Amino acid sequence: MIKLIESIFHNLSLWGLPVLMIIVGIFEFSFGLYDKKWNRNELLLDITCFVIPRIILQPITVYFTLRLLPVILPGLKDIFSWVPFWWAFFIIAVADDLTQYWYHRLHHQLPFLWRFHRTHHSAPYMGMSMASRQNVIYTIFFSQIYLTAALVYLGLGYAALFVTGIKSLITLAAHSSIPWDKPFYKYKILHPVAWVLERLISTPATHHAHHADSFDDGVGNYKGNFGNMFFIWDIIFRTGIITRKYPQSFGIKHYKQEEWYAQFAWPLLKSKKEGSELAAGGPMVGDEVNK
Amino acid sequence: MHLQKETKQKIFRDIVVSLFLYAIPVILMFLSFYITGKKPWLNQGKKSNTTIVNH
Repeated sequence: MIKLIESIFHNLSLWGLPVLMIIVGIFEFSFGLYDKKWNRNELLLDITCFVIPRIILQPITVYFTLRLLPVILPGLKDIFSWVPFWWAFFIIAVADDLTQYWYHRLHHQLPFLWRFHRTHHSAPYMGMSMASRQNVIYTIFFSQIYLTAALVYLGLGYAALFVTGIKSLITLAAHSSIPWDKPFYKYKILHPVAWVLERLISTPATHHAHHADSFDDGVGNYKGNFGNMFFIWDIIFRTGIITRKYPQSFGIKHYKQEEWYAQFAWPLLKSKKEGSELAAGGPMVGDEVNK
Repeated sequence: MHLQKETKQKIFRDIVVSLFLYAIPVILMFLSFYITGKKPWLNQGKKSNTTIVNH
């Protein structure tokens, strides 16, 4: 049984997740869940962000793990391999996800970082197609990847396989346009489960709120709900709101449909759209300008 | 465009709390070893050889 679970997570990390994303993505598209907003520019951006980081990020993390870590942490390889599995699991889950919470939160709260994360928020829809949609610089500097790689180097690799697999599944499920959490709010008997679930992990309701383009409906919270795998960080730091409702519209109000290549590779490539955050000399945060 | 003072203070305060949150699993682990009397570091030898993937 353990071998089977191990094999599932191993295959998930190799090819399972991208395949799962494609299957769910086709389902979402077929049922019109992208609300006819998936035009050519969005499609090119989503596909680029799905394919390119998978090609360039793997060699970077392998280089970091095999070449740089032995220099940074000489003689410490597998030094903590004695840590029991469940403790290693707990340590990595907190270290990885709390680091990503901060990486994410700072990109929203520090104005000079916003434009590296904006690409993820410009999608006017939710779903598998936009789950990987990130600026390439944001992806390369994903801080939790390097922290977890260091913990793997120190001997916690076996637990990391499971944590990163579960985390990817939760994060993808929270981005899905399928509101799988709805039954938990609808049926009274499931309310206690919903109460725990929505505070512990990110769900479509709480994460869709983060991708809303407005606060006006009382549901959207694009300046909060930063949690990726765990929502508990938002509870602790009071950056989250839970409404058990889904926003009416997604994206950013000042979106100018910037060229897919500028959204992917800003500041290396810039937008030609006048007044865009991604144009040469454009504002750092567009919605501050439009107030 | 400057960061508001109260945002800056909240970020600083929350980072300090986070340092404690990072330490919680390690503290609890050693507390469990103290209570149970286990010393797993004495039988070290198992190697890990898994790779990780993040999304």
